[in-house]
Amino acid sequence: MTQYQDNLPKSALAAFFDGLEENIIALILGLMTLITFANVVLRYLFNQSLIWGLEVVLILFAWMVLLGISYGFKKTSHLGVDAVINILPTRGQRVLAIISAVVCLIYAALLLKGAWDYWAPFAALQPTEGRWFPTGFTENTRDRAFYVTDQVPMLDMFRWLEGLINYGDSYDKLPRVIPYAILPFSTALILLRVVQATVRIVTGKQNSLIVSHEAEDEVERVAHGEYEE
Amino acid sequence: MDVVFLFAMVIGLLLIGVPIAVSLGLSSIIFLLMFSDTSLASVAQSLYQAMAGHYTLLAIPFFILASSFMSTGGVAKRIVRFAIACVGHFHGGLAIAGVFACMIFAALSGSSPATVVAIGSIVIAAMTQMGYTKDFAAGVIANAGTLGILIPPSIVMVVYASATDVSVGRMFLAGVIPGILAGTMLMIAIYVMARIKKLPKGEWAGWGEIGSAFKDAFWGLMLIVIIMVGIYGVPGVTGAIFTPTEAAAVASVYAFLVASFVYRDMGPLADRDGTGPVSLLNKPQALVTAFFHKDTRHTLFDAGKLTIMLMFIIANALILKHVLTDEQIPQQIANAMLSAGFGKIMFLIMVNVILLIGGQFMEPSGLIVIVAPLVFPIAIELGVDPIHLGIIMVVNMEIGMITPPVGLNLFVTSGVAGMPMMSVVRAALPFLAILFVFLILVTYVPAISTFLPTSLMGPEIITN
Amino acid sequence: GFAACDDGEMVIKFSHVTNTDKHPKGIAAQLFADRVNEEMDGKVCVEVYPNSTLYNDDQVLEAMLQGDVQMAAPSLSKFETFTKIYRIFDLPFMFKNMDAVEEFQNSDAGEAMKQVMVRRGLLGLEFWHNGLKQISANKPLINPEDAAGLKFRVQPSDVLVAQMEALNASPQPMAFSEVYGALQTGVVDGQQNTWSNIYGQKFFEVQDGVTETNHGLLDYMVVTSVDWWEGLDADIRDQLATILEEVTVERNAAIGQVDADNRQAVLDAGGVIRELTEEQRQAWVDMMKPVWAQFEADVGAENIALAQEINAKH
Ligand code: NA
Ligand code: NA
Repeated sequence: MTQYQDNLPKSALAAFFDGLEENIIALILGLMTLITFANVVLRYLFNQSLIWGLEVVLILFAWMVLLGISYGFKKTSHLGVDAVINILPTRGQRVLAIISAVVCLIYAALLLKGAWDYWAPFAALQPTEGRWFPTGFTENTRDRAFYVTDQVPMLDMFRWLEGLINYGDSYDKLPRVIPYAILPFSTALILLRVVQATVRIVTGKQNSLIVSHEAEDEVERVAHGEYEE
Repeated sequence: MDVVFLFAMVIGLLLIGVPIAVSLGLSSIIFLLMFSDTSLASVAQSLYQAMAGHYTLLAIPFFILASSFMSTGGVAKRIVRFAIACVGHFHGGLAIAGVFACMIFAALSGSSPATVVAIGSIVIAAMTQMGYTKDFAAGVIANAGTLGILIPPSIVMVVYASATDVSVGRMFLAGVIPGILAGTMLMIAIYVMARIKKLPKGEWAGWGEIGSAFKDAFWGLMLIVIIMVGIYGVPGVTGAIFTPTEAAAVASVYAFLVASFVYRDMGPLADRDGTGPVSLLNKPQALVTAFFHKDTRHTLFDAGKLTIMLMFIIANALILKHVLTDEQIPQQIANAMLSAGFGKIMFLIMVNVILLIGGQFMEPSGLIVIVAPLVFPIAIELGVDPIHLGIIMVVNMEIGMITPPVGLNLFVTSGVAGMPMMSVVRAALPFLAILFVFLILVTYVPAISTFLPTSLMGPEIITN
Repeated sequence: GFAACDDGEMVIKFSHVTNTDKHPKGIAAQLFADRVNEEMDGKVCVEVYPNSTLYNDDQVLEAMLQGDVQMAAPSLSKFETFTKIYRIFDLPFMFKNMDAVEEFQNSDAGEAMKQVMVRRGLLGLEFWHNGLKQISANKPLINPEDAAGLKFRVQPSDVLVAQMEALNASPQPMAFSEVYGALQTGVVDGQQNTWSNIYGQKFFEVQDGVTETNHGLLDYMVVTSVDWWEGLDADIRDQLATILEEVTVERNAAIGQVDADNRQAVLDAGGVIRELTEEQRQAWVDMMKPVWAQFEADVGAENIALAQEINAKH
């Protein structure tokens, strides 16, 4: 089964975004490791600690994974079961691939609504109306712009938020609107990547939404440090 | 029953080729929308908190990163050389050395497929050269590779500890004796087969080779010491230095330093033109550039990408878990099982069956996140030790990895050995039988799992 | 839904983080649920989600504002982002004993404290006690100087961090589930908690001894969402409030006994408890009390004065 993979020619813009996403993922993981390591050294050797260290690392962890999910849809690297689809004729495979793509579209759309509804009050914005289908914006939802993180220091570069959403009250810690902003951003990106994958499937440029289990690919992947169960 | 509908939806979506994570997540969301008042926003909250709210799961990216640095950084090949020097001269010696090397690598890495690739890619080729059949070689490595999650550190144990709030350190200790036992059982079986089938044996290369192989592998082997001393301390010398989660981060930094500056198989000092690695003295700026070198960046990205794949599944399994909790499913299942008069034995058989079936479809971490909260309260009620339950789950996951259709070790082994997957399944079968015997042993002799943690850390306390 | 609740009953989700049968909070929550489910049968049904199975204390308040959970009882230090006024309960040696705490909370100032988060969407219904905090480490703590240089696990709160710094000790944030292991292996040296947590989490097993300082307070507040609460029928709301108040009175009155039982259980299990002489205790007070000044603006000088006035009576 051929996959939409790196070996296809890609535009300079696509290459730029691939590189950008890959660098961000590498950078975040590197930062997580160094902050955790620094905290061990500070505690064991100097009896100190970065009191915000743990919380920042956890935020970075969430950012890395949420950003990376859309990258996974772009590169068709998410795990799935292909035992059944592999025994079907090509036509059947295509039908199931299109159904799968629709399933993923519904998932991504619902996730985006949930993410917006969750994040909006933290940004003093309104969540959407409707149980599953957004039918407009609710009115008069109490905002949660005052809600700050436990220990992450406030950064001066975000002081403009105080006037914008916090009635001019100063923040003594970083407000949650900032770390949580990754949710609507990344779920929107997931939706975009799933739409693109669906188009590729419908136009026959891609065969499925899951990583193929052909052995040679597997080894290639694991040799690069993937699959770690 | 509604919950049957939920699980049917998950399995149906899985089988038509929907990504595992989406199958879990969308089924949960639909179930939530149909049967509960809980908002979609709570799904987003669960998704974010899967990472930001689970401190122990942080060990996953770090252990993956440490493994990546060791695979790219040449630690594996040095371990194989050391293992062959030790046991290569027995009947079936190279196969035994393969198992032994898998055990050592398992003590460095939290993962099974990584163990298969790191050791298998070297050992299987060597075995076929020495006259073993490819089937035999592949069967040995596919099975021995599963020790990666039983011998600590282990990603699956981290996930179990996080799902049930037991101590990660205890789980790691609990895996030591079962891991050594399983490895020994495999080695004995190979030795017996070797005597019967007259399998080749290698030359005894002498203590000198053991010594020099050990010296070469020393920096890699030191990682085991660092992790163990760091987590448990040395009585009378130092207390523990870090938590199991932090241990994984320290291991990553250490593996990076060894790979870049000691072995120099990667990074700015690596051999680029066949003249051998560069000395740090000639290129002192490497101390800084190593952190930004493309090898480092590439390793970080690969580890990050794998973390993302796993965490996407785990996060959606956590959404499913949240929905199950919200609808009080665990209590209902617990009540049903308890009122059916299930005893300990029957319960443990049930757990084995559920996990063995689930393991055919699901990736281990995701499965544990879902099953552990369902069976944990019943186990406590029936007086099953939580640590013992955890080891039973891990062994079930090992078996799941070498049985089709979803068996990561199978895919990986078939690739490493260059043979069709069904042949690997057949080749793994005799050794799989050993793992089954081992599962029964572990299930019905709790002391194998609980002896070490209990004697070193005191009896398990159940805080829930 | 599936749960034990009948069709047509209004479901109240009560989420907390402890067990249901041993911990003071878990016992109180279960008692509240049992009473509502019996006395308001057919109208209202309380489902208790213990052991952080649904939400932990950090997530539950967000979920409450979102309308996904109706009641919770986080410890007072979890409300930092809503108000700084509860910092008074974390300040070292602010209250002489639990009777003083009780009187303060029942005063007009205490009642007013339940209302301070209303503009941000939370209504405090009742204070629930856990008890006074003790301090322990892997070496004897007799004088405050003994704590200098040691690493103590604390909840990540500014007051608790400042308090450890006043002792020249190093505050270390750490997930609660990791504390036992970290104390045992020596990743951290000590901790501070109430008798019920020290016994319940078995911290005494992995510490040299527990020093009976009674230096701080661990209390909870039962909270609900203002919007949800005000949307209830008045008679339902009144009946819920009445049952909750009766449960609160009953369980808070029992806290002295619960504390004493847990303290005794530590002794029975072979734990070491160190009592302080008057002078020794005073040394701890002198060392830690300067922390008050740092937070006076947050908690109000008049509240500190009132607490001291009440202390004098007990
Ligand atoms: Na391992
Ligand atoms: Na399987």
